[in-house]
Amino acid sequence: MQTSFLHILKAIACSLSIVLLSAIIANGQEAEPDQPANVKELIIKDRDWDNGDSLIVTVPLSDFYFKKLQDLEQADGHLLIGMSEEYGGAYRPVSQFPPNDGTWEFDEEEKTLSGRVSSLTRHSHYYFRASWEPEEGDLTLLAESTEPMQSKRQWFIGEKRNLAFVGFVICGSVIFFIEIAKRGRPLKVRKIAGLNAVDEAVGRATEMGRSVLFVPGIQDLNDIQTIAGLNILSHVAKTAAEFDADVEVPTSRALVMTAARETLQGSYLSAGRPDAYNPDLAYYVTDEQFGYVAAVSGSMVREQPAACFYMGAFYAESLILAETGNSIGAIQVAGTAEPSQLPFFVAACDYTLIGEELFAASAYLSGAPEELGSLKGQDVGKIIVAIGIITGCIAATIDQPFSFVLTFVLIATAILLGVWWILSRETSQPSLHTPG
Amino acid sequence: MAHAYTPGLKVTECTNLRVRRILPISGSVHVEKGQDVQAEDVVAEAQIPGNIFPINLANLLATAPAELQNCMKKEVGDRVEIGDLLAESKGIFGFFKTQYHSKSAGVLEAVSKITGQVILRGAPIPVQVKAYVTGKVIDIMPEHGVVIESTVAFIQGIFGIGSEAYGPIAVACETPDEILRAEHIKPEMSGCVIIGGARMTNEAIAKAVEIGAAAVISGGIDDQDLKNILGYDLGVAITGTENIGPSLIITEGFGDIAMAERTHRLLCSHTGHAASVNGATQIRAGVMRPEIVIPLDQTHSSDTIDEGVVEGILEPGVTIRLIRDPYFGRIGQVATLPSEPQVLGSGSKARVLTVTCENGEEILVPRANVEIIAD
Amino acid sequence: MPVISPDEINVILATDCGSTTTKAIMIEKIDGHYRQTYRGEAPTTVEEPAANVTIGVANAIAEIGELAGRKLLDENNEIIRPARGNEGCDIYISTSSAGGGLQMLVSGVVREMTAASAKRAALGAGAIVLDIIASNDKRKPYEQIQRIRELRPDMILMAGGTDGGTEKHVVQLAELIAPAKPQPRFGSEYRMPVIFAGNKEAWPMVRDTFDDSVELSQVENVRPILDRENLGPARDMIHDLFLEHVMAHAPGYDKLIAWTDAPIMPTPGAVGNILKTIAEKSGINAVGVDIGGATTDVFSVFDGEFNRTVSANLGMSYSISNVCAEATMPNILRWVHVDMDERELRNRVKNKMIRPTTIPQSLEALIFEQAVSREALRLAYLQHKEFATTLKGVQQQRTVGDLFTQDSGGNSIVDNMKLDLLVASGGVLSHAPRMEQTAAMLIDAFEPEGFTRLAKDSIFMMPHLGVLAQVHPQAALEVFERDCLIYLGTCIATAGKPVPNKVAFEYRITGDITAQGEILAGELKRIPLAADQEARVSITPHRKLDAGNGKGQSVEKTVHGGTVGIILDGRGRPLLVGGETGYSRQDVSQWVEALNLYENESLVSSK
Repeated sequence: MQTSFLHILKAIACSLSIVLLSAIIANGQEAEPDQPANVKELIIKDRDWDNGDSLIVTVPLSDFYFKKLQDLEQADGHLLIGMSEEYGGAYRPVSQFPPNDGTWEFDEEEKTLSGRVSSLTRHSHYYFRASWEPEEGDLTLLAESTEPMQSKRQWFIGEKRNLAFVGFVICGSVIFFIEIAKRGRPLKVRKIAGLNAVDEAVGRATEMGRSVLFVPGIQDLNDIQTIAGLNILSHVAKTAAEFDADVEVPTSRALVMTAARETLQGSYLSAGRPDAYNPDLAYYVTDEQFGYVAAVSGSMVREQPAACFYMGAFYAESLILAETGNSIGAIQVAGTAEPSQLPFFVAACDYTLIGEELFAASAYLSGAPEELGSLKGQDVGKIIVAIGIITGCIAATIDQPFSFVLTFVLIATAILLGVWWILSRETSQPSLHTPG
Repeated sequence: MAHAYTPGLKVTECTNLRVRRILPISGSVHVEKGQDVQAEDVVAEAQIPGNIFPINLANLLATAPAELQNCMKKEVGDRVEIGDLLAESKGIFGFFKTQYHSKSAGVLEAVSKITGQVILRGAPIPVQVKAYVTGKVIDIMPEHGVVIESTVAFIQGIFGIGSEAYGPIAVACETPDEILRAEHIKPEMSGCVIIGGARMTNEAIAKAVEIGAAAVISGGIDDQDLKNILGYDLGVAITGTENIGPSLIITEGFGDIAMAERTHRLLCSHTGHAASVNGATQIRAGVMRPEIVIPLDQTHSSDTIDEGVVEGILEPGVTIRLIRDPYFGRIGQVATLPSEPQVLGSGSKARVLTVTCENGEEILVPRANVEIIAD
Repeated sequence: MPVISPDEINVILATDCGSTTTKAIMIEKIDGHYRQTYRGEAPTTVEEPAANVTIGVANAIAEIGELAGRKLLDENNEIIRPARGNEGCDIYISTSSAGGGLQMLVSGVVREMTAASAKRAALGAGAIVLDIIASNDKRKPYEQIQRIRELRPDMILMAGGTDGGTEKHVVQLAELIAPAKPQPRFGSEYRMPVIFAGNKEAWPMVRDTFDDSVELSQVENVRPILDRENLGPARDMIHDLFLEHVMAHAPGYDKLIAWTDAPIMPTPGAVGNILKTIAEKSGINAVGVDIGGATTDVFSVFDGEFNRTVSANLGMSYSISNVCAEATMPNILRWVHVDMDERELRNRVKNKMIRPTTIPQSLEALIFEQAVSREALRLAYLQHKEFATTLKGVQQQRTVGDLFTQDSGGNSIVDNMKLDLLVASGGVLSHAPRMEQTAAMLIDAFEPEGFTRLAKDSIFMMPHLGVLAQVHPQAALEVFERDCLIYLGTCIATAGKPVPNKVAFEYRITGDITAQGEILAGELKRIPLAADQEARVSITPHRKLDAGNGKGQSVEKTVHGGTVGIILDGRGRPLLVGGETGYSRQDVSQWVEALNLYENESLVSSK
């Protein structure tokens, strides 16, 4: 237990030190030396922690221009940055001040003005000129660069550090929870009523001597919902094999049919009843949305299955299927990540897996440490996002001067509270509830 | 109730014992009425129908259960060997036929039209019933079993494990209060019924297993040792099917307790005689106690026909044993039988008696906690 | 059997033939009310050497006769009927659990559905269910057959399929049971009664599957549709066959059957009967427990729904060793507040098992035996809770509002918070030297929540009254109310985990006594309130605890007293004792002191 935690901590510490080290290296790049009088030499630096598409241009200014530019009301012109691929070539304007787009900064001591030039091509040579463009009259060249300058890419984009932080926390918690699960500490997963009801639904079908209908949605295998549906099919089919009931899987895609057959066979095998597997029970109907629905509904009315499962991507057909199933008195369990179809399923079915529950199902059913760990880790991410949203709202409502400190304090407390809550739940809850 | 009784265990030097030897199912009886039998003679035999192998052929052949009959290549009652073609589907125009070759051997017992299930029954399992005691067959129940009568010395234990065993008696402990240790068990006791004294130790049992003793009999055993031997904590006192090697019988109870003097003396007096032992115990409705039966030679005869335990009557002077802590195992004589219930140390009220112990001490115990020692 | 109008019944004699003792009671009409007057006991004589149950019955009745100064038996040891002056009785009834009671094998298609219904029917009829054979019991068919062969049931109940439902599975089960030829306990001339209570359309096929070696009969389906159970017909058939077949083969029962004026019932069936009647009549939820030597029966009536379970191997004598094996020694010893040697205890447990009739003589032995009983009761109640559930496989009706509260079928209907009356019976509970001990054992094992009245069956009269309720309900109810129950008092407890060293709840008692105060977390307190007294108790729990109205909400109720009085329990629920997180031995000692369970001096002297 202890040593593995240390490993994780070490890994995190290592990556952090690499980040810091490269930051130091990236800062070490210096500007070019000075140029002769009145036309000064522009100081051009590569912008740190970027994708290699921008440079920082620092314009040394005389007192006259410095004051002029500082007092924007008195300014009767603006500073123009021109750029060219060759020295003395055609300089095209790439940036100007005023207005300040947020990238310009004055340095009072050095009497300089720095600005960012973006959208550059990496490894190209650029020359810059800074000129004063009065409202009327000609340009005055203030400074220029004589040496070519290239923009360089750093391995990390500094602007995305927030994302990195969140990424670290989430990945870390995923790894953390996987480790915890592997050590056999029980991870609590909320009961998903719909999945617990599988035994009940299949049992009902068995007692009533009817079949179990499983609809894996109307999308192809490239839809993640279909995959999730097939995951659940394997559980349903295993239960059905144990109960010796038939599972019928009409599909609207040929590929799904093949996958469904494989799933069924695997389940019957793992239930120890390979002889009971009948491949004809998973069959292809049609790709046509409503043709498929008509066929399935028709068969439902005729065969009267006692249990219907709808797991996958559903559209307009959801209510037609669910309503037909309800009218024949079947126990129905639905699951879809299509928000627009959920209300129909909830109203017409006995149990509904809502959105994410469909994907959580496989972790829930298998109880495998990797899957449980990622499920838990993602929960941590969701908690962080939720905390972020709430604190953001509070900070935005409160007066400006306090907001930064307040946001920081709130986020920190909230994260600590969240982590404490999760950990305390993990230790206090006696067992992971998994069916079967 | 002036004559509260407690059933004691039978320890008899000479009695006529009748044992019923019954088959679990009907079969054939190999002996005749009046015949003399030895303990290990097989007196009856039966064939228990073999194991059943159900096969869902309709699914395997992908046919309807109702059509399965037409696909069968074997008739009900036919012998089927592993690899035999059991059934073949009709196919389409004689093509695409599916075959099923049997994976188990047996006799085809049934073909179900409803479930599509075919039942194969494996070879029958023979069951033999031995005579158990050397004696005379006095009654025959045709197809079911026999009753054997014999003049025997008969001793009941309180608890045992293991099933029927046979062997000559070998005494390991000379006195009843000597603990049976590993060093008491000698290699020449192999196949013998070993008589110990007080508690049998874990090591002694291990040694008995090692040398291949038929049975070990002693006064007591530690529950922890019993757990070690069995590998599990015995929950329900229904035994007889354990397979640890020798059958174990304790005559008095659990813990450090000496074998009753009389029992020990009786067993020792039969050193070298063949004995039949059964460790099976059932302390439930239909109570069964483990027993040691030593058939006596023809010169002994007994007028009493013993088929069970008779109740004794508690009265002053009767020898009893205390069977509950804190006086567990002590032996004494009933001194008085107060008729009024009295308050015990535990605070509950019960009918009691006073006992004069062997050391002269007089103690008060509940009547439920004594056992008459049969004389 | 002579028919007498209920009004003319003045003297009733009832016996219960248990596996060790036969208990007889006499009920007489005194000043227009039925009262239990005398009782007698004798060892049951169903085993060798007597092998005739009526000898024990006659002995027990003779004892009553002596006590009552009434001649009940004639020269042939037959009961004199009807009553004439100081002789005889008007009716005689009996129950029986001798010979191990009624042992059954049940089968159904889905273990949680029809098989569970079949089990309920069998248990409700007073049987011990040896095993359940179901299509989904995860055993291979040959293993199932093996099991059927090993068992020696008295009767088989087959269910499976709704009416018009599956035939395949039902016939498959029949195909397993028929060739296995289960052997009855009573010799080979006995034809095994098999009751079919499944899909009625499968009946002809099931009938064809069996041959003449069994006594096959059909009753209505126990589960005609999945949403409804119909246990009555199967239960009645079990009773009939119990008398016709099982009883008729037990030694002496033919005579006993001839003696009785009402059919002999299995003892647990009769107990269930009376509890059900009482709960229905008073509109309460009740739990009854009978802890015996070999088995523990738990009965419950919640919202009119009756359930019974038998924990076949949890008991205080024959099964005491099994209780120790199942509960494990540390779990038993957590209830013991004094030092005991485990090796010594193990031997004592086994000695009790092989000599089941002994009683604890020293206080130490009593403490240990009561600790074992707590675990036996706790395990039995756990099994009961798991079994007493709502029906599974029922279609749910939902609205969008149920989106986040999708509850499923098969939830336990046993709710300790809703429990009003807890009735104890069986040796260790009813013969405990102090009533406080009985109450403590009940509270520790059952963990009642909210306000729960505790009672014990004074002399284990419930089986007799159960049969009597069928013949003369008025007499049964009158005796039950006046003589059967001894009220111990009322337990008041809060659910939830109390915060250590904080107040668990505040109480205010008004009425026949007045008191108020606070109960700390982990504290037990007894306030005497006599059986004929009443008090109004108001409880304000800590914000994390629930006394019945939700967390932190006050509850006020009228409570009745008893020999123990009011027990205020701040230990929280679930009750965690022992281990690293539970209450320590010191806490247990405090509880012992608070309830004055044992006398300390005698413990010292006995050690």
